[in-house]
Amino acid sequence: MPFLLLLQSPTPTPVPPHVPEWTSALLTLVYVGAFLLLILLLYVALLRYRLGRARQSGAVPDDLPKAVKKRLGSTTTNRGLKALRWVFVLLAAGVFGFHIYWAKYAESSNQKFQELSYKDLRNRRISESTLRGWIFDRSGRLDRALALYRRESNGDIVRAYPMDKAFAHIFGSDRGDPGLERALFGVQSGAMPEALQVVNGESTSRKANADVRITIDRDLQQTAVDQLKGKHGAVVVLNPQTGEVLALYSEPSYSLKDVEDEATWIRLEANERDKPLVSRALGAYYIPGSTFKTVTMTAAFIAGLQDTQFTCSGGGYVAAPGANAILDDGGAGEVHGTIGIDTAFEVSCNQYFAQMGVKLGAQRLKQAAQLLGIGTYDTPVEALRGRKQPEIWNASNDAIKRALAPREATIVTGKQVTRYDLALIGYGQGYAGQMTPLQMALAASAIANMEGKLMKPRIEFDRPPEMFKQVVPPQTAQRLREIMGLVTGGPRGTARGVFGPVKAAGINTGGKTGTAQKVIPVYDPKTGQPKTRHRVEKDNKGNIIREYEEMIMDTDHPRIDAWFLCIAPLERPQLAMAVIVEGGGYGSKSAAPIAAALVLKAKELGYFNNGIPQKAQSKLTTPAAPKPRR
Amino acid sequence: MKNRASSHLLIIFLIVGLQVAGYFAVHRAGLLRGYETSVIGGVRDLLMYVPLIALVLWLSRAKRFAGNWILFTTAVLLFSIGMLIQYRLYSDPEYNSRNRAEARAAKTDAMRTRYIMENYDPAKKQMMGLPPTPAQPIDIESLPRKPSNYTLWNALTSSYTWVPILSFLAFAIAYSLCVHDGFLLWLQRNSFIVVLVTLVPLAMAVITSSAGKALGNMTPWEPAKIPFLIGFAGILTARYKDLAETYWGIPRARDIVPLVVMAIIPFIPFFALKDFGQMLIFTGAYVTLYLVAVRRWPQLLLFVGSVLLVISLLVVGALPRDVQEKVPLLPILARPISAALPARIQQRFHLWLDGFDPPSPEVSWWKKDYQDALNKDPRLKELAEQSPAMEKTINVDIWFDKLAFQPAQAVFGMAAGRTTGRGLGLGFPELVPIADSDYVYAAIAEETGLVGGLVVILAILVFISAGVRTSLEARDMFTKLCAAGLTAVFGFQAIVNMGGITRALPMTGITLPFVSHGGFSLITSFAMLGMLMAFSHRSARDKMLAAPVRGVSVVEAVQ
Repeated sequence: MPFLLLLQSPTPTPVPPHVPEWTSALLTLVYVGAFLLLILLLYVALLRYRLGRARQSGAVPDDLPKAVKKRLGSTTTNRGLKALRWVFVLLAAGVFGFHIYWAKYAESSNQKFQELSYKDLRNRRISESTLRGWIFDRSGRLDRALALYRRESNGDIVRAYPMDKAFAHIFGSDRGDPGLERALFGVQSGAMPEALQVVNGESTSRKANADVRITIDRDLQQTAVDQLKGKHGAVVVLNPQTGEVLALYSEPSYSLKDVEDEATWIRLEANERDKPLVSRALGAYYIPGSTFKTVTMTAAFIAGLQDTQFTCSGGGYVAAPGANAILDDGGAGEVHGTIGIDTAFEVSCNQYFAQMGVKLGAQRLKQAAQLLGIGTYDTPVEALRGRKQPEIWNASNDAIKRALAPREATIVTGKQVTRYDLALIGYGQGYAGQMTPLQMALAASAIANMEGKLMKPRIEFDRPPEMFKQVVPPQTAQRLREIMGLVTGGPRGTARGVFGPVKAAGINTGGKTGTAQKVIPVYDPKTGQPKTRHRVEKDNKGNIIREYEEMIMDTDHPRIDAWFLCIAPLERPQLAMAVIVEGGGYGSKSAAPIAAALVLKAKELGYFNNGIPQKAQSKLTTPAAPKPRR
Repeated sequence: MKNRASSHLLIIFLIVGLQVAGYFAVHRAGLLRGYETSVIGGVRDLLMYVPLIALVLWLSRAKRFAGNWILFTTAVLLFSIGMLIQYRLYSDPEYNSRNRAEARAAKTDAMRTRYIMENYDPAKKQMMGLPPTPAQPIDIESLPRKPSNYTLWNALTSSYTWVPILSFLAFAIAYSLCVHDGFLLWLQRNSFIVVLVTLVPLAMAVITSSAGKALGNMTPWEPAKIPFLIGFAGILTARYKDLAETYWGIPRARDIVPLVVMAIIPFIPFFALKDFGQMLIFTGAYVTLYLVAVRRWPQLLLFVGSVLLVISLLVVGALPRDVQEKVPLLPILARPISAALPARIQQRFHLWLDGFDPPSPEVSWWKKDYQDALNKDPRLKELAEQSPAMEKTINVDIWFDKLAFQPAQAVFGMAAGRTTGRGLGLGFPELVPIADSDYVYAAIAEETGLVGGLVVILAILVFISAGVRTSLEARDMFTKLCAAGLTAVFGFQAIVNMGGITRALPMTGITLPFVSHGGFSLITSFAMLGMLMAFSHRSARDKMLAAPVRGVSVVEAVQ
């Protein structure tokens, strides 16, 4: 009986309707299941179907042998028709086979399909309709959210960024390379449940939309923004003990709201001079200048050459016959005499560290650089490629690492490196000229770590710390910190004056100033584009080989970049930072005050009380993750 | 289950019940996305069963129908699935409305509101300016919703109302005519004239059509399938005995030439209309009829062999260049073929064999679309000129935005449906353009999954089996061939349509019989159903009449 069959249709065990989709999903299953049964019923009916009442009326005698009965009506034509039926069965099975392939196997085994799944508009619909998680700063407080949803007066729900420009480089917009926003909240349509799963009440993970707490301190970041206002530069503040990023800011930045408009985005992208879309802290190369002496000094300690003394003379240091003499910034007048490494660091003696670079040699420099995460290459061509370095991050997934990947800082340590090159590297010039602010902050953080470890930077608050490399033994780190302390606290320290107020506040700090000259293109003041000149190359017969536009470099007026590395407090550092100000002049004049302001702010925020900022202890006021949906 | 009107009426009632359940599922799902489904549309659809049930009563009472009811019930079943999917698609404001972006935004908003209500705790809600209720599953009725703007007037003037009614009418007329011996005899005698007369309105259609469509988005030449098929069956009935006599495996020219002429005639208008799907179906139907009527091994091999040769040549010609170069001698063979293939066929073949890879921007049939897209967006053009890698990326983007958009979204939909589907109203079949007609199988596969696809495929197989059965039982060659031809047309149409969507075959833009919404296609399908049922009834009636006389019936049966 058809009725009974229908009542037995395989409806799954009823689960109380938790999700609103439940009813629709269940009805779909009932609908499809019942139709399947109906079709089977019709098929059975077809098998049993006999034409009219012919059989009963005796059109074919019942007493005929079976073989004869079978042959009755079996003409060639009819055999052809029966074959036709099988042809269709095979064709339909083939078509359905393709359907099975797409529905069950394409997602897992078809590479093209996987690669192009971003073209699936369903993904976009789902990610549009399920809201992204909120982003909190390290306090985790709801009222200090960094990215949230707001309801506007017309009822629209829009993503809002209360700090806007301050976090633009970290969060990123929907255009260009993905930032944290897209790295944290990517959604795949494969995560959506099918009807049977909904009915069974299987929860589908919506991990992609959970709220996220990041390690950045909103107030510290704001201080960085205020300090860099109107300048071009970057600030990176790390916690050297855990690798937490406390502030990460590059000026000029851009407004996340404004770039929703494509025209604005294009205008910003075309701005060659200010490059507001580039995160300078992660993606810009600078000549490190004297700050690189921290790396050289670390290398010297690793190599056991820390007790070597060198002479700093008025004639300068000539690394190789015929090479330019290396002088200190004060020229021939600045003479330090025969000094040890601590004095050399305190007064930032170029000649000392040039000689130290030569003495160390390429191999030892390479070894130390690798411990600090600096890429070492055999040729300048390889080094100039400037690959991204996502593996430096300590993050829960690769998307986050990629989104925040810095460009790899590089030095050249191949065979072709001469004594003169080594001398230049020793005090942060020449082949050491590709450093990022993040890399320099990491170099400082390795020294500031109590155990001499370089911790991988991390931005997710709930992530356990992870070590990159053990750089130096703990005692050595202690010694290095003491030397760095001389810069801000020693009698001849280059940043002594600037750090007076910090000292007065009772905080012992360490640091290193740096100054680097960079030749930059001449910009047209009207358009803001670099000026170029037209060049034509000709061979000796006067035929034109190639024509090109060459940028005019302003060799007479190089830009002087100011650097400052800082660790604080010296006894048990909670901050390791790098500050760079483009065109800021001497490091101690423009970069060091910013660092000092940040240290004072950190004290005000309670970072130096027992080493743990108080705010981080406060309870998270919101359950961050949305409840699993049944 | 007995072959009685009452049993099948019961099944139709069950189908109505399930249809109501399906509509309710769509309604609930619609509320979740912030729109209300139309009650008027639903009632209109359900009222469609009134004429269908009336037809059953008319057939059984007035016409004393004795043939196979399964044909009718299966058709109704397929038709009801089609109605449900169309109801689901047209309820969706995004699929339906002129301002798609606005409708889409409204849907997104509704889903976001729901997400907030379910997942955000009171503090968060308060911050957003919402009432601070705890996070809990929402009450579906409390969600804001966009009321349906489908009025009674819309329903009365809609093609969704009139096309089915016209189809039922066509069914009744076709049945009433074909049930008479006199009419069939007349058709058989004048088959050539019937075909020639059909060409006159077709020629008009060819002149007025543009891009394979006429009268807006219609294909009014669809009903021409029937006279063409009757014509071929008629001439084959007259000649099949002579055709069977072969000389070295080849029939005589005076027998084969009229048949070939008759077979070629329909291809001329369809070629002019660029309706390659129709040509494919006709090829299949004609081959089937020829093989059924003239079953001699050499001919069979010749016929099947040449069809296979043509198909493989086409495929070889359409293979991508890099694949061709891997096989020696293949490029020499393929070059002239691919040069001769029309752009539209090349494009369809590329989509079929290599749909996820865009062709190079230099390929003749893709160049224009590609350049148009670049010219529209100067920034894109600038980027494309920067580097070959960038150009490649942009080519992929344009490919998936334009030609590959529909087939790719359909495939993604099938993949999203998996085994049991997303649930009615819970998927995104509205993303696929014209999902209600050509791509209806993709919509079914997304919302009801593999199981739903299985229902459709099995229903079509049952229908084909019933059609073949009708043909087997037919007691004269003409109705036998007509029934076989109609069944083959149904079968090939369904296979070509579903194969196109699942990429088993190239996509050709024809409809799925009974399921798709298509004006003339639905009318033609129901008319063909009427003919099949008339043939079925004739066989049954003849048998009943012949039954009392023993000797005659055995002889008849052997025929």
